[in-house]
Amino acid sequence: MSSPVLDLPRVGDPAVDPDEYVAALIHWHFTASTGSPFWLRRARSLDFDPIADVRTFADLRLFPNVVDEFRDVPVEDLIPRGLAGEDRVIAGVYESGGTTGAPKRFVMFDRWMEFALGWDEIHYADLGPANVLAVAPSGPHMFGEFAARRARRHDGVRFTVDLDPRWIRRLIERDGPGAADLYAEHIIDQAAHILATQAVGILITTPPLLERMARRDDLVELIRKNVRFICWSGAHMDADSREIFQAEVFPGIPLKGLYGSTTILGMSRERAQEADSGLAVFDPPSPYIAFRVVDPTTGDDVAFGDRGQVVMNHLTKYALIPNNLERDHALAVEPPPGWFGCSVADVGPVATFDDHAVIEGVY
Amino acid sequence: MGEFLHIDALGPTGPYRSRNRRPLTSLSGAPIGEISQVPSLYVRRTVAAMRAAPVVPGAQRLDALDRAAELFATASLGGLGWDEYTELVSTASGVPNAVVRQSADWIADVLRSQRHTVELAMPRGAVGDWRDARTRDGSAVWTRRGEVFAVHAAGNTPAVHGLWPEALALGYKVLVRPSAREPYTAFRLVEALRQAGFPPATLTLLPTDHDVADVIIAEADYTIVYGGQDVVDKYGAIPTVLTQGPGRSKILVTADVDWREKIDIIVDSISHLGGTACTCASAVLVEGDPEPLARALAERLGRIPSLPADHPDAILTVAPTASVVEVDQYLHKVAGDARPLLGGDTIVDELPSGGAVLRPAVHLVDSSRAPQLGVELPFPCVWVGPWQPADGIAPLRDSLVLTAMTIRAELIDALLDEPSITNLYLGDNPTTWLRPGIPHDGYLGEVLMRTKGMIRTAAGSSAA
Repeated sequence: MSSPVLDLPRVGDPAVDPDEYVAALIHWHFTASTGSPFWLRRARSLDFDPIADVRTFADLRLFPNVVDEFRDVPVEDLIPRGLAGEDRVIAGVYESGGTTGAPKRFVMFDRWMEFALGWDEIHYADLGPANVLAVAPSGPHMFGEFAARRARRHDGVRFTVDLDPRWIRRLIERDGPGAADLYAEHIIDQAAHILATQAVGILITTPPLLERMARRDDLVELIRKNVRFICWSGAHMDADSREIFQAEVFPGIPLKGLYGSTTILGMSRERAQEADSGLAVFDPPSPYIAFRVVDPTTGDDVAFGDRGQVVMNHLTKYALIPNNLERDHALAVEPPPGWFGCSVADVGPVATFDDHAVIEGVY
Repeated sequence: MGEFLHIDALGPTGPYRSRNRRPLTSLSGAPIGEISQVPSLYVRRTVAAMRAAPVVPGAQRLDALDRAAELFATASLGGLGWDEYTELVSTASGVPNAVVRQSADWIADVLRSQRHTVELAMPRGAVGDWRDARTRDGSAVWTRRGEVFAVHAAGNTPAVHGLWPEALALGYKVLVRPSAREPYTAFRLVEALRQAGFPPATLTLLPTDHDVADVIIAEADYTIVYGGQDVVDKYGAIPTVLTQGPGRSKILVTADVDWREKIDIIVDSISHLGGTACTCASAVLVEGDPEPLARALAERLGRIPSLPADHPDAILTVAPTASVVEVDQYLHKVAGDARPLLGGDTIVDELPSGGAVLRPAVHLVDSSRAPQLGVELPFPCVWVGPWQPADGIAPLRDSLVLTAMTIRAELIDALLDEPSITNLYLGDNPTTWLRPGIPHDGYLGEVLMRTKGMIRTAAGSSAA
């Protein structure tokens, strides 16, 4: 049976005890009557006993990163047997991007999705009714469904355009960075038509697409006039761009990011207060999603304020996805008191400079 | 160089310091400042603002270029006078002070001569302004193919900034992405041109990382990109990109000419500007036995002293020791079976003041088809080999400049007809010869401009 500590919180619930939570979580996923076929099978090849050895958040590091195995495993095997009733309602099966090899598949449960969607509800509290325009991937990506649910919460409709990021990547691989231009502009053209003819109060998109919208004066005008909230996700927004968007392009319109991944079935929200450095800070919904930032060479946690590679964990009764090493680098930031791991800021890819050793030629 | 330097973007509405910055270092690796790295959003907004800005009228452009020449050569810009500027470039980038001064003087000459250069580059059937009376009888008007010209500059010598002022003279708005190693010349030149009258939205300086550099190429109408063979391979097929890759400049001496009388010119071609220019000769082909010439070159080049870059007599470039070692290792690898006559042991000469000098190298190859003849390295490094008439012009292909020391008219005709030889100099002229108004790799106007036919009736039009 599920321990109540694993139930998603209701407003006013007291914070859960971290160690109690981890113990209940591990018990759930590694008990034959409640765990998923995947983990029950996988437990046999672990060199430790999860129930005996994993008692704290730190102990979770014993687990290997198994997300690569999610490329091939039948999704039924990912469903914990203990889920029943409302808990067992599936919202969808979503895939990670598939930038490196075949995509990985994850089962999204409806209750969890509503909770994950509500994580940044605070930003939308005063918005009232609004339609949503999602210029973002739909299909196997969770992004589109989140946008649809966002619209429902605001008694609005979701407008959307088709967008296939994997095809864009294929084009770039084949023909270089300029190749995606035509496709991207085609997306923006469709978004422009919606913005010009429909009442859009919430714009949900990725930073690169927002940047393309910002190039068109007519679109900037429409967004400034109608849109009351801009939510970005799915890619990085560097601190300089964020500042330019806020100060020059869309002044006065809240611009909030969600940093997450399909591999953790959710996102972290932008903290209301920026760090002293002016950087946006992202808080995951601990204990259900928890981040660590590690030194890429040693794997050890870096100190708060230092940069490293992001490790994500999904820790709910709906799924157990520990120690997923992302490609992103970020600053580790002190989380709110009592939270697992850390919060993150200044998330981005590893910087590349053009000082590689090209020797031939004079330049 | 006491003060901590900031190279910020010079955007359409003023300077911009991004949060994302990378260190500027001296040759010893010591940090001396920071350079902003602007995001792609800033690039896109800048290009949009540049497109929206009015074109500075032709006569005003040329006047401003004249004024900019004086400012560039004399004024205090960004807090640096001329002497401080040249000293900074040589101590920070390792380019010898005399080379910096010579290259920077060249830039001032280029600015001053645009009036003339633009006239020379324009087709004879065209007028520069439709108001010219000749359009009343019908004529061509020389017009821009685009609005925004971008420059991905290099840091090997300030002279790389001698090409793009032509685009400014033609009425393009120009976006300069400076070298991260030597952004000081680009900064000084943009400052000078702005103070001389080019409004900020017509001329910008945007330091960026590698990825954002591609956004500049995508946003601009045309871009000139300096780099190695990798850059040529990456961008060569894009019609809006003009690549400035390895020059592979060469010298040919045929048997009717005695090389002994030309040795100064040949040495000068190899070592001019410390061997850092794409016009510096990297291969010499000799009809007959090449060895005596190779030995003479080794003797002459071997005499050049190793000096700190800021020494007034310095000729050779200085670079961080690790990168000089890397160049040396690469030289050994590509030299293969070539016979070293100079620099075969090592070209690395460490200086007590920091960094290492790249010493000259001379190698002898045994065939005009030796692959080493196409290897250009950023210091005086020359491959000397045999040539005979039966070899034809194939070994001379792919040369930015070819100096042909020959009196054979048929050979000269063939070399002039060869499309991959860009400039052909004859007789006593080093490959490094340059004069404002003479094309370096064609006139920029050949790419950036086109003619349009025009006929007009006089009524209501302003006087010519």
